[in-house]
Amino acid sequence: MAGFEILDPTVEPRRQPLTYVPRPDSLKGKRIGLVENTKFNSDRLLLKIGEILKKEYGAAETKMWRKHNAGVPAHKEILDEAACSVDVVVAGIGD
Amino acid sequence: MTARISSQRYAVEDYQEALDLCYQRGWTDGLPVVPPTESAVRAMLDAVGLEPDAQVAFITNRQVAISAEKVAINAVMAGCRPEYMPVVVAAIEGIADPRWGYHGPATSTGSAAVLTIVNGPIARRLDVNAGDNLFGPGWRANATIGRAIRLVMRNVVGTLPGRLDRGTFGHPGRYTYVIAENEAESPWTPLHVERVGCRPTDSAVTVMAALSPIQFYNQLSATAAGVLGTACDAMRYPGQVGQPNYCVVLAGEHMRTIAADGWSKADIRKFIFENTTNTIAHFKRTARIPGEVKPGDETATRSLVISPDDILVVAAGGRAGSFSCYIPGWGGRTSSEAVTVVIKERSA
Repeated sequence: MAGFEILDPTVEPRRQPLTYVPRPDSLKGKRIGLVENTKFNSDRLLLKIGEILKKEYGAAETKMWRKHNAGVPAHKEILDEAACSVDVVVAGIGD
Repeated sequence: MTARISSQRYAVEDYQEALDLCYQRGWTDGLPVVPPTESAVRAMLDAVGLEPDAQVAFITNRQVAISAEKVAINAVMAGCRPEYMPVVVAAIEGIADPRWGYHGPATSTGSAAVLTIVNGPIARRLDVNAGDNLFGPGWRANATIGRAIRLVMRNVVGTLPGRLDRGTFGHPGRYTYVIAENEAESPWTPLHVERVGCRPTDSAVTVMAALSPIQFYNQLSATAAGVLGTACDAMRYPGQVGQPNYCVVLAGEHMRTIAADGWSKADIRKFIFENTTNTIAHFKRTARIPGEVKPGDETATRSLVISPDDILVVAAGGRAGSFSCYIPGWGGRTSSEAVTVVIKERSA
């Protein structure tokens, strides 16, 4: 029987190494960045988390940034500012 | 063209085995596909003069390069004819454009489909339906071009339902959502000429992250303002607030009534923009935006879109019937923007 060949329509996503920055042993005295994704109440949720991190874990301060919208990564200004003004960042997405 | 096609090959005995393999591997949208053989894929590539490894687009957030070869394979599977390939390629370029913002409309629970509007001579040459049964079945170009776009999203970018496509409802237009503008009968400037300054002899495709078409009916008005007043009444109570775009599709009867009053597309956009505002109080009462109603909210208003230019006006649909429709865009005001891409055709 005369068979034939078909071609694979899929691709493997490009693999790239992800390197995690070492986590701090403690949040005591650390500056916390909060990246808000524009969804309803995400700012309130992150501020609440920031308060908990200060009150219960001894973090020094919090600073919040707002992304352009929920579907895009944090833009360059956020990354540049966060890199030189905070020690850890809390971000997330949800509805 | 002799450059190597590098995709993995699977040997099959017959069509049934090929189909079973495609289903088994999760490569279809649920409907049977055309087996992508090398000769069929080469014909697709030849139609656009692209080497197999030419990059058509890059989806940043997925770090996925979409090669001409993969577009061609998926276009074959979708049932496209080779001459549809320039439209498919342009549409893929459009959804990969950062303004379209692939990640949002492809992934969101909000379930957008890729409304694809074809303009220019290619639409007529390929018989892309612009008339009766506009969104319905029966036209190979409409059925397979949109299907090819979705198969590329699925198979190349990994936009799989339940995984990276988290749509709450999905969308029937995710099988296909392709229309052409009825330039032959339209009294107005075609969409691509208005949006990106094409010549009418150019061909282009416009992609918009879109929800479903919603039909409205007006058999009574003999004026532009009358017909569009009905449209505005329907449009100003959206299911959500703050879409970046709306598309208004005006079918034959309404098109002729509006044109008889001498209204241009710019006039139509301005009228709709001005007559679809709502008060902040209304949005708060109906839980579209958060917060208690404050005194000023009864007079403060919010427009449907940021600018009249965010409303895409398209002449299309059947000649008979006092119906037209509007299509809300997906997402928030800055999430996704309709993108028009000029179609590159090989010179004969």
